[in-house]
Amino acid sequence: MSETPRPDAIDRRDLSAEQQAAVEELLFRLADDEFVHAERLTEWQIYAPTLESDLAIANIAQDEFGHARLWYDLLKQLGYTEPECIWERDPTEWTHSLLVERPFDAGNWGDAVLRGYLYDVAERIRLKAVADTSYAPLADRVGKALEEEAYHREHATNWLERLTADDDGQARMQDALDDLFPAALSLFDPGPREDDIVAFGFRTESLAAMRTEWLETIGPSLEALGLAVPDPDEVARPNGRGRYGTHTNAWHDLYDEFTATYREVDFETPVELRATEE
Amino acid sequence: MIWEVFRQEEPGDSHEHVGNVHAPDREMATLFARIQHARRMQTNSLWVTPRDEIGEVTAEDAAFGGRTDKSYRWAMTYNDIDASFAEEVADSESEQREAARKRREALREEENEA
Repeated sequence: MSETPRPDAIDRRDLSAEQQAAVEELLFRLADDEFVHAERLTEWQIYAPTLESDLAIANIAQDEFGHARLWYDLLKQLGYTEPECIWERDPTEWTHSLLVERPFDAGNWGDAVLRGYLYDVAERIRLKAVADTSYAPLADRVGKALEEEAYHREHATNWLERLTADDDGQARMQDALDDLFPAALSLFDPGPREDDIVAFGFRTESLAAMRTEWLETIGPSLEALGLAVPDPDEVARPNGRGRYGTHTNAWHDLYDEFTATYREVDFETPVELRATEE
Repeated sequence: MIWEVFRQEEPGDSHEHVGNVHAPDREMATLFARIQHARRMQTNSLWVTPRDEIGEVTAEDAAFGGRTDKSYRWAMTYNDIDASFAEEVADSESEQREAARKRREALREEENEA
C-alpha cells in the first residue's frame, strides 16, 4: 500500500466522462455503505449491553461517519454538494449494500457484533483494493481509514469469541449468521459501471476476487468458533440490488428518519456531516 | 469486574490513574480503555489492572510517616549551603519542609481535638 499516487495516476481534472462516471460509482458505493452502516450502529447508543460497549460501538459509528466524510468529500471535489450527496438525494439512488440497511433484531447484540464483523472484514479488503488506485485523490486517503479499521475488527472478533463461548451463544450466533449472510453477499454485487471501475484501474481487484477473499477470511474464522457458514450459492438472497439503487423497505424507513430533521429544520445552508478538512 | 486504567501521555512519563472500565477480562478491558480513556487524549501507553489486584493501605490503617515530629532526622550539617546550584537538592529540601509543616499541623489538630 502506498500513499504516493502511482506513475499513471489520474487527476480529477483529466477525467473523461466515462472515467468520471466510474469514479463516482466507486465513491458512492464506499461512502453510502459507511454512512448507512454508521447510521444503523448509532441505534445501539444507550442500548448496548454495558456503558463500555456503548461507547465502543458509538465510537466505531463515528469512525464510519468519518470515512463516509472522506469519500463524500471526494465527490464534492467532483462537483456534488452535501445535499446532493446525502440529504436531498433520492433514496433510490443510494448504492449501499443490503447488509447495512437491515434493521437490527431489537436487543440482539450478536446481530450488531456479527454484522460489524462481516462488514469490517469486507471493508478491509475493499480499502486494500483501492490502495493502489489510479485515481490520485482517492489514493492518499485510504491509509488512514485502514488504520482505524483495525480496531473495528478487533472489537468484532473479541466479542464474537465471547458470544460463541457456549452452546446457547453459538446457537444464537448461528441464527444471526444465517440471517445476515445472504444480505452480506450483496457487499460484492457489481453496479452498472463495474467493468469501467476495474478497466480504468480505479480499483485494482475485481469484486469476484474480493468476494472470494472475504469468504476465505470469514469462513475459517467463523468455523473455528463453531459456526457453519452457509453455501453462498445456495442461500436465498433478499430482494433488491443495493448497488443499483433498489433496496428493502427498511431502507426507505431509515432514509425518512435520518433526513427528517433536515427537512423540518430547513436550514439555508445544510449542516455538514463534519467540517470539511482542507 | 472493574479494571483500573492508567495512561501515559508521552514515553518516559509515569502512568497516571485516569479512571476505570467494566470488562470481563484483560483483553476486553484494554479494548474498552482505548476508547474510554484514550480516544480524546494524547496517549503513548495504557495500563489496565484488576482493581482487586491493587494493594491498598489508607491513613486509617497506618500512620504514614509516623506521628511524632521528625525534624530530628533532618541532615543539618549542610544547612548553610546555598542549594540552588542543584535543583533536585533544593526541591527535596522544600518537599521535606512542606511535609514537616503538614505533619506539624496535623499533630496540632489532633492535640486540639484531644
